[in-house]
Amino acid sequence: MRRGVTGLVGANGAGKTTLLNALLGLRAPTSGSAKVLGLDPRSQGAALRAQVGFAPERDLLPDEMRAVDFVRHLAQVRGLPRSEARTRASDSLWLVGLGEERTRTLGTMSTGQRQRVKLAQAIASDPQLVLLDEPTSGLDPTQRSEMLTLIGEISNEHSVSVVLSSHLLNEVESVCDHVVALDAGRLVACGPLGELVGDDDGVTLELVDVAEPAGSVDAVEHALRAAGIDVERTGTTLRLGGRERDVLCDRARDAVADAGARIRRLETRRRTLADLFEMAAA
Amino acid sequence: MSDSIEPAVVADDGAAQIHDQRFRPYSGPRRGLAGAMRAVIVSSMRFTLGLGRPARHKFLPWLAVVIALVPAIVFVGIATVLDIDLISDNILPEYHEYYGLIQAALFFYCGIVVPEILVADRRNGMLPLYLSTPLRLWSYLASKAAAVAVTLAVITVGPLLFLLLAYTLEGSGPAGLGDWLTVLVRILASGVAIAATITAASLAISSLTDRRAFAVIGVILLLLGSNLVTSVLVEAADMDPRIYAFNLGEMGEALKDRIFGVGPPVLGEDESSPGQSVSELSTWFVIAANAAWVTAGAAVLWWRYRRIEGTQ
Repeated sequence: MRRGVTGLVGANGAGKTTLLNALLGLRAPTSGSAKVLGLDPRSQGAALRAQVGFAPERDLLPDEMRAVDFVRHLAQVRGLPRSEARTRASDSLWLVGLGEERTRTLGTMSTGQRQRVKLAQAIASDPQLVLLDEPTSGLDPTQRSEMLTLIGEISNEHSVSVVLSSHLLNEVESVCDHVVALDAGRLVACGPLGELVGDDDGVTLELVDVAEPAGSVDAVEHALRAAGIDVERTGTTLRLGGRERDVLCDRARDAVADAGARIRRLETRRRTLADLFEMAAA
Repeated sequence: MSDSIEPAVVADDGAAQIHDQRFRPYSGPRRGLAGAMRAVIVSSMRFTLGLGRPARHKFLPWLAVVIALVPAIVFVGIATVLDIDLISDNILPEYHEYYGLIQAALFFYCGIVVPEILVADRRNGMLPLYLSTPLRLWSYLASKAAAVAVTLAVITVGPLLFLLLAYTLEGSGPAGLGDWLTVLVRILASGVAIAATITAASLAISSLTDRRAFAVIGVILLLLGSNLVTSVLVEAADMDPRIYAFNLGEMGEALKDRIFGVGPPVLGEDESSPGQSVSELSTWFVIAANAAWVTAGAAVLWWRYRRIEGTQ
């Protein structure tokens, strides 16, 4: 993985948390091995974890502790001297937007604020890598957007590599530079987001199912296939590929006109993370 | 150290500066595993004693400390008022006899206060956070045990050290530096031994449940129940005194007596007291029984925590 934000994406039960635990050296892999920051998590776990910040998914925090004490304590446990930990705890809480709230006890904070506190404790010791397990869990759409923006800023402005897990594909697409997609413990895709999603070499043509002329959709499909175009049909939707987009659009237009069909939608295809999972399932 | 930061704004005459104290890189030293363990030990000790927590959390631990210290303060007061050698004249109990007076405080502390030190971390999500740091499972548990043992030693060692110093200043203390050091070593050794045995057992029980109330009941049952059952079996059913190995409190007491080089206290003419039967056990048996309590407690603790998600 390169610097930036890496999204670990997959449905619930895909193995995201298990992978994060394995990367931290807290779980032995059933097979294979891993290197994180050049270190083997199993044999060099302590040295690795000294350079990594982690925020677990569970919304469990010591309710009676003040936010600043909580962040300071974990910064100390991660190796910072006491005075430095105290300073950086405050700085981290300011960074995540909780500067004014830092002396409040965690039990009095909202879910959104507690997620920010978890983020603050993960970055307080200035780690090289931060692992965030479902950092937007329990947040409303506005809070979710703010949290993702914050994570992006932390990565970009402070040169901290972030791995965040999420089951929300649009969330990962909105903030991540790289993607690791898992499905039932299996790697579906891995690479820069721009290479995995984005414009595709195809066109989606959706037709209106009309009674007159009968069989117009079939006629369009037949005409396109006869023109040597790859066609995938789902109901009245035809996914066209194998040619340049302009050519596909022209051929689609002509085929529809010849068959007397009616177009509901004609658009260039955009490959999404959902498509990756669909392809994996197929 | 933190990277130095240029002032964001400097007054014309240079007398005043405004620094932009933002989040910044840290390139100073990191204290590794030792620093992590020290941070957990200090934090856990403060937590156990209720320091930095609301007042209701301070009451019980400090009540135990007060219960343990009150007899010592009273004895010192008596020693100060009455100008005689109180220990030699058998007016006040000797050092090793003091444990009998603070056993209630010990049990109270272990039963009510100690379970919270482990249970809270599992309940409030601190355990996975700790394990994401340089700490490993063994170092986390060792830190917790050390925190309990040190705070417990406040009760087992603190009052006796206070007595020793007060008696010494008052003139009733041990004669000569050699005797004084011997008493000091015996106080420390017996205090640590009792703290270690009870700490291991208390933490083992506490590891078995996420509910503090259940842990409290379990520890109290172990401390009092083991005493009751073994006493009945040996004294009423006339069984082998080695059954006292299962009596947690009695084994700690017996080890303390061996460290002080004395037999069990003679309680009047009652020869059927547990102390009398325990005196029949060899010193090695007593040491082995205490070691077994510590080992068994550590084994249960380790077994239980290895079964928790993310600790493999």
